[in-house]
Amino acid sequence: MTPAMPGARARSPVIQFDNVVVRYAGAAQPALDGVSFDVMAGGMTAVAGPNGSGKSTLVRALLRRQRLERGRIEVLGENLEHLSQRQVAQRVAIAPQREDAAFPMRVDEYVSLGRFPRLGLWASPSSADRAAVERALGRAGVSEFAHRRTDELSGGEWQRVRIARTLAQEGEALVLDEPTTFLDMPHEMSLFELLHSLARDGLAVLIVSHQLNLLARFADTIVLLNRGNVVAIGNPAEVMRAQLLESVYDWPLVVTHDPASGAPALLPLRRPASVS
Amino acid sequence: MVHKGWHWLGAVAVFAAVCIAAVAAGAVPIPVSEVMRAVAGRGDASVVAIVRNLRLPRVVLSALIGAGLGMSGGALQGTLRNGLAEPYLLGVSGGAAVGAVIAFSIGIADAGWISLAAFAGAAAAVVLALLVARAAGRGGRGDPRTLLMAGVVIGAFANAVIMISLANASPNIIRGALWWMMGSAGDATWPAVAVLAVSVVAGGAALVYLARDIDVLALGEESAAALGVNVDRAARGIYLLSALLAASTVAAAGLVGFVGLIVPHIVRSAGVRQHRPLLVGTALVGATLVVAADLAARTIRPPAELPLGAVTAILGVPFFLAQLRKTA
Amino acid sequence: MRTALIASLIVLASCSAGSARGTAALTDDFGDMIVVGSAPERIVSLNPTTTEIAFALGWGRRLVGRTHWDVYPPEAKLVTDLGSGIRPNVEAVIGARPDLVLLYASSDNRPAAARLRAAGIRTLSLKVDRIADFHRAVRLMGLVSGDTAKAAAVSDSVARTLTRVRKETAALPKPTVFWHIWDAPLITIGHGSYLDELITIAGGANVYGDMSAPSPTVGIEDVLRRNPQYIIAGAEGAAKIKGDPRWSTLAAVKAGRVLVVDTSLVGRPSTRLGEAAVALASLLHPGAVH
Repeated sequence: MTPAMPGARARSPVIQFDNVVVRYAGAAQPALDGVSFDVMAGGMTAVAGPNGSGKSTLVRALLRRQRLERGRIEVLGENLEHLSQRQVAQRVAIAPQREDAAFPMRVDEYVSLGRFPRLGLWASPSSADRAAVERALGRAGVSEFAHRRTDELSGGEWQRVRIARTLAQEGEALVLDEPTTFLDMPHEMSLFELLHSLARDGLAVLIVSHQLNLLARFADTIVLLNRGNVVAIGNPAEVMRAQLLESVYDWPLVVTHDPASGAPALLPLRRPASVS
Repeated sequence: MVHKGWHWLGAVAVFAAVCIAAVAAGAVPIPVSEVMRAVAGRGDASVVAIVRNLRLPRVVLSALIGAGLGMSGGALQGTLRNGLAEPYLLGVSGGAAVGAVIAFSIGIADAGWISLAAFAGAAAAVVLALLVARAAGRGGRGDPRTLLMAGVVIGAFANAVIMISLANASPNIIRGALWWMMGSAGDATWPAVAVLAVSVVAGGAALVYLARDIDVLALGEESAAALGVNVDRAARGIYLLSALLAASTVAAAGLVGFVGLIVPHIVRSAGVRQHRPLLVGTALVGATLVVAADLAARTIRPPAELPLGAVTAILGVPFFLAQLRKTA
Repeated sequence: MRTALIASLIVLASCSAGSARGTAALTDDFGDMIVVGSAPERIVSLNPTTTEIAFALGWGRRLVGRTHWDVYPPEAKLVTDLGSGIRPNVEAVIGARPDLVLLYASSDNRPAAARLRAAGIRTLSLKVDRIADFHRAVRLMGLVSGDTAKAAAVSDSVARTLTRVRKETAALPKPTVFWHIWDAPLITIGHGSYLDELITIAGGANVYGDMSAPSPTVGIEDVLRRNPQYIIAGAEGAAKIKGDPRWSTLAAVKAGRVLVVDTSLVGRPSTRLGEAAVALASLLHPGAVH
């Protein structure tokens, strides 16, 4: 089902997509057409591809906001459909693409919402919950913001706070949908460093992103999607080949090797607009 | 934390003071010292009668109306992530008015039956709005904007029905219907109070229980799903509970606007963010506001009584001005 | 008696003014002039009071239109129902081809009056809020149709009964009265209403006689404060009052002094004003009046 990945140890995946087919109502083509891959603990798996390739649909399927027409998604060996929403949230911490709190609140209040899936019936936080929130704030590097209001944060600070919230969930997997939108280079890099270090700590990190060059530097596995199909899975060197990428993105490009890091780097070429 | 405690204490104290003032004041003024004795049934028999049969039911009814509308508004604003949401959104006011007007038009004059008709109308309108929203939604069921639009559609339809019913009605029917629509706590009797109390206490308790879900829903549907909320079920439950509270208050006293809109903002401006304390706060502040409004309604222009809805409508002006300044 | 005398003087005065010019002309309550001319053959009456008067003057067969609520006397039901008397359907009225239309002179009806006159139809707009208005209406209707003798008879008959009732209750103590017209909002009668006059004639005192409006809206607590000795209401209103714990705070309700009147009898200041006064006086002072 899934190609053997170089360097992978024989252990079960935290999240497994098995031949997933998702079709939006009234659409001729499915948004995901038989997607299969594993997300392993202790590594960063990236899903990349052009707009409309189905990347965000994967996240929506994990959130159960979109029904599967065929196939299965398994979390820690259990079928997603057999778990309650709360149980999923306890195992997998997802940060969807867009989120703005309609009513601003304090950062620590926001991060403690991450404990929600574990709270009891009357939902009062315990000291264990508070400790988890402290740890999450520290790990994400935002402890000093704890008393600031969410509407006073910069873009980079806000993304870190969102990651803190996912960490507070204490799941075994972290799923982020385009976490670096609107971030400048230093913030992009430091966010990826954080995610990389979280993966090294043992979390299964799944990141959806279109920024191949960053993924090339940090991701262990890249799943390349095109029009709902997986066209390549492997480490960055295996996936980022010029001919493949040109056909997927339909744009002339070259793939070079970044001398500093040794990672492949994608360089799109200019294509002057044709005169018709 | 300490100053938060003072806020709560202050709010309770203001509420108690307003209630006592409301029982004491009126065309027949009663000294405050006699009020407590009269409530307990001691003292001059006619004063006891006034307090127990006229004033107290009105004050309790007003408090329940304010609490119900406040909580309904607070829950809806959080769930719909919109500070302009209010309890009558899902077609409640239109449906209730249709029920009441039709009852008036066919000659029903008993307040109890009018209440029932209003409640039935409101319930029908809400169900219709939810069905319309589901039919219109593209699989993003419960998308707030679809729901809001469905409520507008139902409201427009209700207005048309009301206008057609009243167009050629006799002056008596028009007068009765119009008076009902402007809202009044004047028909308060203990049985009506009891019915409303059951609704507000049960519905309010359920909303307070769901308040953590609202905290999470306020982040957005996808984020709420990510945190383990069954979004469609939770949202639907909150809409229905909020509509139940709103419909019960309308059945008891007609249309009382702006309370459910303004009170959550007042409580939020005191720094309350989480919905559990927020909903309790809206109940308290809402009750205070409506008791005060009812007091004003019956003492501002003696010997006549202003409609309760007219007094609360005046509140809308400073509120919207403040909102304007905030966005500008 | 005195009212009839003054009314006749006015009639004589306007008659002489008219004959000085050759044709008689009246001014109605909108300030419009009506030429007396020939007797009307097709009459539309858009007001319960004028409909009753019309039947009393013997115009029953000449009536070709009434409002929906004109159901007295019973023969009125045979006349064509033209709908509302306030903001009437002018087209329907014109369609009945009347040569005289009787309108209630409320400001809402000014446009209708103007349109009817523009269509060349004689329109008499009458205020009918107080007893004097009734007498004036009768006299004017008599003048317009030439039935002055019949009109005088109707007017005098009512005046005589009212005077008699007033005399028979003159020496009796005057209990205070609250008249319950409507429940939500709470509406009663003030000085501007004929019902207030009827109460006085019947030997009572309206607790809201100090308010000049004909039908003021009040609050129940204010009624409580004024503490009327009697409450007068229609059958429905009385049932509501007796069953309502809020009303039980009033002394009159506790003592069982809630009097029921026939609302169709007292509902308008018309030809049965005398009977209405007798009925009221019998309620307030049983046995004193016959």
